[in-house]
Amino acid sequence: MINLGKTIPRRAVLRGLGASIALPLLDSMVPAFASAPPEAIDRLAIFFSPNGMNMARWTPAGEGAGFEWSPTLQPLVPFRDRLLVLSGLDNSIGDARPGEGESAPHERAGGVFLTSTHPEREGHVGVSMDQIAARQLGKATQLESLELGLHTSELVGLCEKSWSCAYMHTLSWRTPTTPVPVEYRPRAVFERLFGDSDSTDAAVRRARMETDRSILDSVAEAANRLMKSVGAGDRARLGEYLDGMRDVERRIQRAEEQSAREIPTVERPGGIPATYEEHARLMMDLQVLAFRTDLTRVSTFMVGPEQDNRTYPEIGVPEVHHGLSHHQHDATKLAKIGQIDAFHITLFRAYLEKMQAARDGNGALLDSATILFGCSMSDGNDHLLQNLPIIVTGGANGRLKGGRHLRYAKGTPISNLYVTLLNTVGVPMTAFGNSTGALSL
Amino acid sequence: MRVFSIFLTLAIVGGVLEGAHPAARQRVAPVAPPDPSLHRALVDRYCITCHNDRLRTAGLSLAQADAERPGVSAEVWEKVIRKLRTGAMPPTGMPRPDPATLDGFVTYLETSIDRDAATRPNPGRPALRRLNRTEYANAIRDLLAIDINARASLPADDSRYGFDNVGEVLTLSPLLAERYLAVAREVRRLALGDSTIRPAIEQYEISKNLLQDDRAGEDLPFGSRGGLAVRHDFPADGEYVFQVRLQQNSRQYIRGMQQPSDLDVRIDGRSIQHFVVGGERRGKSSFVFSSATMGEVAQEQYERTADEVLNVRQWVEAGAHQVSASFLDDTSVPERPLQQRMTMYDYSQYKGGTAGVATLVIDGPYNVKGPGGSESRRRIFVCRPSRAAAEEPCARRILTTLARRAYRRPVTDEDLRALMTFYSRGRAEGFEAGIGLALERMLAGPEFLFRIERDPMNVAAGASYRVGAYDLASRLSFFLWSSIPDDTLLDLAERGRLNDPAVLEQQVRRMLADARAHALVTSFAAQWLQMRNIASVTPDQERFPYFDDNLREAFRTETELFFESLLVENRSVLDLLNADYTFVNERLALHYGIPGIYGSHFRRVRLADGHRGGLLGQGSVLTVTSYSNRTSPVIRGKWVLENILSTPPSPPPPNVPALKERDAAGKALSMRAQMEQHRANPACASCHRLMDPIGFALENFDGVGRWRSTDANAPIDPAGVLPDGTKFSGLPELRRVLQQKQGEQFVWTVTDRLLTYALGRGVEYYDAPTLRAIIRDAAPGGYTLPSLILGVVKSTPFQMRRSES
Repeated sequence: MINLGKTIPRRAVLRGLGASIALPLLDSMVPAFASAPPEAIDRLAIFFSPNGMNMARWTPAGEGAGFEWSPTLQPLVPFRDRLLVLSGLDNSIGDARPGEGESAPHERAGGVFLTSTHPEREGHVGVSMDQIAARQLGKATQLESLELGLHTSELVGLCEKSWSCAYMHTLSWRTPTTPVPVEYRPRAVFERLFGDSDSTDAAVRRARMETDRSILDSVAEAANRLMKSVGAGDRARLGEYLDGMRDVERRIQRAEEQSAREIPTVERPGGIPATYEEHARLMMDLQVLAFRTDLTRVSTFMVGPEQDNRTYPEIGVPEVHHGLSHHQHDATKLAKIGQIDAFHITLFRAYLEKMQAARDGNGALLDSATILFGCSMSDGNDHLLQNLPIIVTGGANGRLKGGRHLRYAKGTPISNLYVTLLNTVGVPMTAFGNSTGALSL
Repeated sequence: MRVFSIFLTLAIVGGVLEGAHPAARQRVAPVAPPDPSLHRALVDRYCITCHNDRLRTAGLSLAQADAERPGVSAEVWEKVIRKLRTGAMPPTGMPRPDPATLDGFVTYLETSIDRDAATRPNPGRPALRRLNRTEYANAIRDLLAIDINARASLPADDSRYGFDNVGEVLTLSPLLAERYLAVAREVRRLALGDSTIRPAIEQYEISKNLLQDDRAGEDLPFGSRGGLAVRHDFPADGEYVFQVRLQQNSRQYIRGMQQPSDLDVRIDGRSIQHFVVGGERRGKSSFVFSSATMGEVAQEQYERTADEVLNVRQWVEAGAHQVSASFLDDTSVPERPLQQRMTMYDYSQYKGGTAGVATLVIDGPYNVKGPGGSESRRRIFVCRPSRAAAEEPCARRILTTLARRAYRRPVTDEDLRALMTFYSRGRAEGFEAGIGLALERMLAGPEFLFRIERDPMNVAAGASYRVGAYDLASRLSFFLWSSIPDDTLLDLAERGRLNDPAVLEQQVRRMLADARAHALVTSFAAQWLQMRNIASVTPDQERFPYFDDNLREAFRTETELFFESLLVENRSVLDLLNADYTFVNERLALHYGIPGIYGSHFRRVRLADGHRGGLLGQGSVLTVTSYSNRTSPVIRGKWVLENILSTPPSPPPPNVPALKERDAAGKALSMRAQMEQHRANPACASCHRLMDPIGFALENFDGVGRWRSTDANAPIDPAGVLPDGTKFSGLPELRRVLQQKQGEQFVWTVTDRLLTYALGRGVEYYDAPTLRAIIRDAAPGGYTLPSLILGVVKSTPFQMRRSES
C-alpha cells in the first residue's frame, strides 16, 4: 500500500485473477421500483464505437420505412420498429484548418464528436451535448452523469505530438477545458453508485448505515462539545465539519428510504472480467442499474477509445482494429472491419435487450430512454468526419418513432441532431455547436 | 554586507524566548538616543511628497505615522522598513538620503519596534486546523503502521500563503466528510486484518514515459534494471497472486520482445519467481517502428500477449512487505553514452529496445489462514484478554493508548466513554470487532481530525500566553514531521519537560535527524519552491523532444537532495543561491553536460563550469518557470522576486498584448528582443523593469533547463540591473550578487516561509520583530537551515498564543 516508489501511481482495481469471474448482476435483479415513479423519466444514453465503420456494409439500402437491412445492422432486426438509421450527417467543424499543423485525425474526431466544436490541441473544445443534458436532468439524481468505458484513461501521455489525449479517451466535456474521465473498473462504478459496502443486500446496508449514523451522532456530539471551548473563528470551522457530517447523514437517510424500494439485491462485482465481451456486458449491467435506480439519467458508453488498437481474436480477427481501419480498400481488411463493426452492434443489441428487460414502474427503460449510437468518423481509412454512421433509438417517452432509414442533405451538421435530441429529453435548446437548426426525425 | 554588520552590532533579542517568560529575559542593548525630530524631518523630506494623506501613493500615507514612537505605528513602519531594506525606496530618479543616514533611520525604526514588541509580545492566534491530506496520511502511518494512498482517497486541500497547511483554507466539504468515514473504515480493515476479507486487487503503475534502462531505485537490487519496488499492506496471512504486465508502445506492442529478458519478482528482497520473457519467433515481425503495417498473425499476437504468463501465486504473512519486480541487467558494457536518446514521439512508436514493467498487480488474499501478526496489530493489541472479565479493562487500555497518540493529549473520561460505546456495540461480533469499531469512531472524530488549541481558563481576553506542553508537542511534530507527536514528545509534555529550552533544542535536533523530517523537504521545500508542479509540467515535445519522465524525476530528486543536504550537513541557506555542488545521476548529468557520470543513483558532484550551482541552475526551478514551448524571463524573474527576495511584483494589467515573435520584416526575434518591444509600453515597464533583468540572466537555460549560448540564432545577453541598481554581467555574477548583497533579503524570505509553514498562518507585520530576532540569532553560525528552524521553534509566535479578545 505504501508508495515508496515515489511517483508510481496506484489504482485499486478488482479482478479475481485466480478466481472465477461471476457476473452477479445479470440474473439476480429484482424489480427496481416497487411502485411507479410519479411521472415519466427522461434518460439519455450514448453508445460509441471507435475507428469508424465499413460504410458499405453499414448503410441500409433504400430509405424511409421500407429500408433493407445491411450486413452490419443485421443483429438489430428485433428492434426494427424502434430504430432510426440516419445517413448524411457531418461533423466537418472538426476537420483540420489550412495551416493548422499535424493532422491528428483521431484526436480531432474524438474531440468533435459530441461537442461539434473545433478542437484545439491543448485540450480546448466545447461542452459536450451529454453534459448539457446532464446539467438539466442531473438535478433530480445523485449523479449528474455516468461515463463508462472498457479502456484505462490516462489523461496525460503520448498522443499525436502534443495533443491532449483526453480527446481519445472520453467524449464528455463538462466545460471547454474539463474532460470528464471515463471509468472502466466495475467495482469503482459500483462503489460510486452504491457506496463501498460489500453488498447491496438491504440488511447489510442497513446495518452499515446504522453504524455510520451512530458514528455521525457521536462525532457531532464531540464537535458540539468542542464548540463551547473554542473561539468564534474556530467555531465556524467546527460548524463546517458538523454540516459535512449532517450532509452525510442526510444522504444516508435518503439511501435508507430508497434501500427498501429501489436497490436490487446485487453483489459488488469482483473485478474486471477476463474477456472483453464479459467486461462490456458487466459495464452495461451497471449502467442499466444506475438508470433503474434513478441514480443518474445520462450516460455515455465507449466500447473502445478513439484510435483503439484492440485485437479481436475471439471473433477471428487477431489484427488490431486501428491498423485494419486503414484498409486501403483491401477487400480482406474491409471484411474484417465489418466483422468488428457487427460485433460492436451485437454488443449494442445486448444493451438494448437489457434496457428492454429493465423496468422502472412506468414500463421498460427502453421506452423512456433516448439512445444514440454512433462513430466519430465514417471511413477510418481517410478519417472522414462526413456521412457519419448514426442510429437513434429508444422510446423517448413516446416522442420517437422508429422503423426508418433517413437520409439528410449533404452538409447537414450532426449538431442539428443534437439540438433535436436535447429537446427530446426535455432540455430546450435552439442551437448547439455549429447547428443550423433542429433536425426532423 | 550592509545589514549583516547591523545584525552583529545590535544585540537585541526581539522575539526569541530564552527562558521562562519571553519578556523576562530580554537583553536590550542601549541604543544611542536619536533625535526624533531628525527622523520626522527625513520622512518629510524624502517620503511625504508621494506618501501623504492626499496622494496616498501605493495606498500608503506617512503623514500620521508616529516617528517618535514607531511601535505605535508598527504596521506602517514595517512597510517602510521592507522598502528601505530592499533598496526599493525612494525610487530611482528621486532624491535619496546618503546610505549612512538611511541605514541609521531603518535601524532606529527596527530597534524601536523590536523593543516595544519585547515588552508587549503579540504571538497571533492561529486558527483551528484540520489535518491536511499529507498530515492525515502521515498520522495514520505513525499511529497504525499503515500507508494509505491519500491522493486517491481524499480530495486535495486548498492552499494560501503558498502552503496547504494554513488553517483558514483547510475547509471541510461534505465530500470530505464522506471520505473521512470511508477511509476510517478502510484503515480499520487494514490495521486489524480481516480473515473474512474478499480478494481484492491493488495495481501499481509505472509511467509510460519512464524509460527503464537502468536501476530504477535504491530499493531494487544492484544489477537490476527498471521495474518498481512498492511497500504493500497485506491484510491477512494468505495466498496472493502477483501479476506483472509489461510496457507497450503506442500501438500496443510489448517493448523489447525481440530478445529474452529475465524478470525477477521479490518479496522483502527475496526472489519468489524468476521469469524469462520474450525472444520467441512465430512468424514475420512488423517494423521496429510501428505503423499500420502488420506482421504475421501469430507473431503479432505473441508480441502483444507474451507477458500474460507473468503471474505467480505466493503465501505471504499479513503486514507491510516490500514487493519488487525488476529485470536482470544482463550487460555490463558501458554502451549507454554512445547512443543518442530517442525523442519521446519516436519512443512511443518504437517496439525495440528493452522490456519495461508497466504494472504490478497484487491480488488476494486467497486461502486466508488468519489476520496474522502484522506491525499494525502489534501496535494496537497492547494487551490480550485471557477471559471474559479481562476484556473490558483490556479494551480500555488499548483505546487509551491509541487515543493518546491520535488525539495528541491525555485521554479524558468523555473521550474514553465515547470510544467504549463503540467497543460495546461491536463486541457482539467479537473483541477485535469492538476495538475496530471504536477505532473507526476515533479516526472520524474531530478530536483526531482537528488540531485544537484551547485558551486556558484563567487567561484574560486578548492576552498572550504560553501554549500548553501538549500543544507545543503537536506544533513541533506537525512542523518538522507533518505528523503526530511520538511517545517521546508526549511523555516529555506529560512530565512538563518540553518547556525546558535545553530539552526543546535537543528534541528539535533529534526530530531533524529522524526520517520523518523528510516532510520538511517534500512538504515545506516542495511547496515553497513550487517543486510539486514538476509532476504536471508538459514541455512541448516538438521543442523539447528528449524530455522524459526519467528527467522529470531526476529534477525533483536533485532539488530534494540539495535541500536535504542543508538540513543534514548544517549548511547555510545562502548555499541555496550559490553552491559549488549538486546531485546528479546519469540522466541528469547528460542533460547538464556533466561527463563521466554513469548509473541511475544520485551522487554529489562539484560544479566547476560556473553555469550551475544553487537553485537558479536546477532543472526543476528552470522548468516550472518556463512555458511548455519556450522560456519566460518574466516568470523566472517573478519567481526570484517572490521566492528569493520576497518582493513580488503587482499582477499584470488587463489586455496585455501578446509578444511578437517576428519583427516587421518577418525576422525571428530573440526572447530578449521580444520582451524589449513589450517594455516599450510604459504600463508594462514599471513591473518588467524589476522582473526581466533577472529572467534575462537565466536565458542561458532553455525551457527545460539545458544550457545554451544562443536564442533565435542570436547570442544570449545575460547582463542586467537589479531593482536596487546593482549591475551584473551574467549568471555567475547574479548569483554572487544575490548571495552577497541580497543575502539578508533571502534569509528573511526563508525565515518568513518557515514561520508561515510552522504556524499555519500568514506572517503579519507584528511578526517582523520575531523574524529579525531569528535571523539575528542565526547570523553567527552563518544562517544554517537548522539554526533558522530552531529559531522558529523558540520564537514567540511558536511558543505562545493570544487568547480570544
